[in-house]
Amino acid sequence: MRRYLLNRVWQSAVTLVLATIVVFAGVRALPGDPALALAGEDRDPESLRAIREQYGLDQSWLVQFWQFVSHAARGDLGQSIRTGTPVRSMIASALPVTIELSVLAILIASVIGVGAGVVAAVRRGRPAEWAANALALLGLSVPHFWLGLMAILYLSVALGLFPASGFVPFFTDPVANLHHLVLPAVILGTGLAAVIMRQTRSSMLDALSADYIRTAEAKGLPPKAVVGKHALRNSLIVVVTVVGLQLGALISGAVVTERIFALPGFGKLTVDAVFQRDYPVIQAVVLVTATAYIVINLLVDLLYSVIDPRIRVRGEA
Amino acid sequence: MTRRLALNRFIPRTRRRSVVGYGAAVAVLAVTGMISTACSPVEPAGSDDPTSGGQSSAGQDVFGEPADAAQVKPGGTLTVALSADPDKLDPTLSRSLYSRYVFHTMCEKLYDLGPDAKVVPQLATALPTISSDGLSLTIPLKQGAKFADGGAFDANAVKTSLNRHLTLAGSARKSELGPITAIETPDPKTVVIKLSKPFAPLTAALADRAGMVLSPAAVAKLGANFSSAPVCVGPFKFASRVAQNSIKVVKDPQYYDAAKVHLDSIEYRIITDSSIRSANLKSGDAQVADSLSSQDAPTLQKDDSVSVLQSQSLGYQGLTINIGNANGVGTPHKQLDTPIAKDPKVRQALALSIDREALVKSIFNGLNTVACSPVSPKSEFSSDAAQVCPPHDPAKAKQLLSEAGVSTPYKVEMITSNNPDSLRLAQALQGMVKEGGFELVIKPVEYAALLDQQDRGDFELLQLGWSGRVDPDANIYNFIGSTGSQNVSGYSNPEVDKLLTDARQATDKAERVKLYGDVVSKLQQDDPIIYMYRQRNLTGVSKKLLGIQVYPDGVIRTAFAGFAK
Repeated sequence: MRRYLLNRVWQSAVTLVLATIVVFAGVRALPGDPALALAGEDRDPESLRAIREQYGLDQSWLVQFWQFVSHAARGDLGQSIRTGTPVRSMIASALPVTIELSVLAILIASVIGVGAGVVAAVRRGRPAEWAANALALLGLSVPHFWLGLMAILYLSVALGLFPASGFVPFFTDPVANLHHLVLPAVILGTGLAAVIMRQTRSSMLDALSADYIRTAEAKGLPPKAVVGKHALRNSLIVVVTVVGLQLGALISGAVVTERIFALPGFGKLTVDAVFQRDYPVIQAVVLVTATAYIVINLLVDLLYSVIDPRIRVRGEA
Repeated sequence: MTRRLALNRFIPRTRRRSVVGYGAAVAVLAVTGMISTACSPVEPAGSDDPTSGGQSSAGQDVFGEPADAAQVKPGGTLTVALSADPDKLDPTLSRSLYSRYVFHTMCEKLYDLGPDAKVVPQLATALPTISSDGLSLTIPLKQGAKFADGGAFDANAVKTSLNRHLTLAGSARKSELGPITAIETPDPKTVVIKLSKPFAPLTAALADRAGMVLSPAAVAKLGANFSSAPVCVGPFKFASRVAQNSIKVVKDPQYYDAAKVHLDSIEYRIITDSSIRSANLKSGDAQVADSLSSQDAPTLQKDDSVSVLQSQSLGYQGLTINIGNANGVGTPHKQLDTPIAKDPKVRQALALSIDREALVKSIFNGLNTVACSPVSPKSEFSSDAAQVCPPHDPAKAKQLLSEAGVSTPYKVEMITSNNPDSLRLAQALQGMVKEGGFELVIKPVEYAALLDQQDRGDFELLQLGWSGRVDPDANIYNFIGSTGSQNVSGYSNPEVDKLLTDARQATDKAERVKLYGDVVSKLQQDDPIIYMYRQRNLTGVSKKLLGIQVYPDGVIRTAFAGFAK
């Protein structure tokens, strides 16, 4: 297990370095630079030169890269070129918003997805399955942007049930915080719910036709216990994998959702930074995202061994 | 129906599909949205419909009224949905137009603009007294004003700010202030600005960010990081900022006219999508929304809970032709070897191919206005000569192309921003100029990439505009003057240069008016930029709110607004 873990950590470090290099070079390969994006329509060569000098953009890529890496190693992620705010504080304030939004979205998606998946598997060939399938198809095919816009038009403008934009921190007012986040989380969770539903359904169908289920039924266990304790538990490993794999999709979905609902999260921070060519922000955001991705993948691997002891046994062998 | 026919006329069949697709999407939205107001018909341009809830029709300025104190209740937080995130909240370094919306509430200027686009005193008590040689401006200052940190506003503070604007690395104000040689403070309530050459646009510059006065104590403490906690004289003071998301200002009790300030605080919330800004306005999550789309405005005009303020921009939207920008702006001009760069007749032909009236009616619901010159008709330096407009004449365009020895259709590539409004404009232009013998190839690019291509001179034709400033000099010199910092056309005409320099240095208004008229006549012969239309600043305001105003500088004035009783 220790060797396995060490191996994973080593692989993760290499991935992180590669990701940093790719993003550093990629963002500079884009046409336009932070000075141009900052100056906008009001540019003159003298001030463009001053901005480039001030942020070291006139240095070679190698020097810039070394500065970024050496500062990042000390925990200094630099300052936003556009607003002058320290990037660390920008990330520190944006990350909790996206984490809360994502956790809520995963919770909502899991409840809907697993529930609908179980119903679809148990009620196979009946209207309940058709309805669940139709919902899943809808969840998969409707873009977040459109869904968000519709939600605002129906639920915020017409019915006034939820705020159309804005954010209240959890510790300032937990109720207002949830009120602001429910709608974005549902929108963000729709795609994931659909994927979870399809996966739960198919693995439940597999499980329900397995020998141990027949044995459990033959022992006279009530159907609820057969489905809940035996079939569902064995199906959940696939669901956990799917949630882990879909995390990337969730983050990219958060980009759109946060922009629609004006949430001060990580996704919005990233997109705006790219449009504004705010190099320090983009680099830091990617570094943090890549780290989070790697850590989550590690956690998912470890979760396998909790859910399925056979994996732990194999890993320790 | 009329609109659709007008559009079809100018959009080529191959392009119509995407417009129809867009229309279909909008139709689906409208139907599924099930909001009755969303289905209102579009008002024709220039009509004056008395049924529009007391609101102005398209094409008329509606600046808003000051709040009547008797009808306003004290307190409350106003939420303004802003279309873009302001950059640094530092008047010296700021370049984004949107920062001006925030500054307006917390950083007063020596001068401001009135609804008639004329300069009026703000922290000064009168317009500057200009010496007969034009080399000295004396500005009398308001007494008793205090900065938000309690420091006294005086001539020294003005001097500190102006010096900072002139010397701080990366200052965006330096070029606006002109050839200042010294700033003198004979007494605490008077500032004297000395110039090496007369510079007529200076007073107007002091009615913008260059005229904002910063707290010397805050400048000394924060230095180049002033934007982290800006301190000025203003009805509100900076409270907090969440990067790329929101900015909050709160009422400053030390403000000299605090009794006129009704709101407790203002939150600027960044919402980049125009339809979502409109939705926030309708749902009440925001009470003010800037830069409404000309597609959304007619619908909002019919909404009982919302007013739409309109003010014609002082800037313009146009087509810039690359004449001599072969190696990038800032390098010596080198003419491109293309017919449109070499021969003014080809550029004139392109100008004649554009039906500006049809453009503003079909693409912008008649909300924008036709423009044929960089001088706004609202400017006090405008004249009949500055507003002359060549007629739409595709036949003459073809004739000019033939005289220039160019075979038709003449293929020209145009780069444009990839936002929906710019693309619709480009497609309409494409159909329009076909009649004049041009084949327009559209190359949409993202905004930062567009700026990059523009500065490198990597374009033949580009569609972009300028938001506009009060003084015509700021709308012309940099873009047309041979040494202009933003002369991306690479245009150079010694006669035009002389006219512009004379206009800069003239102290007599009538003389400046005449000189700008002459500049426009020359520009319409050479056509380095084909001016097409002036945008209308469209601002949505909840009717629960009183006292929101928008002047021709486009800045939304929220400071003295309040919620209705």
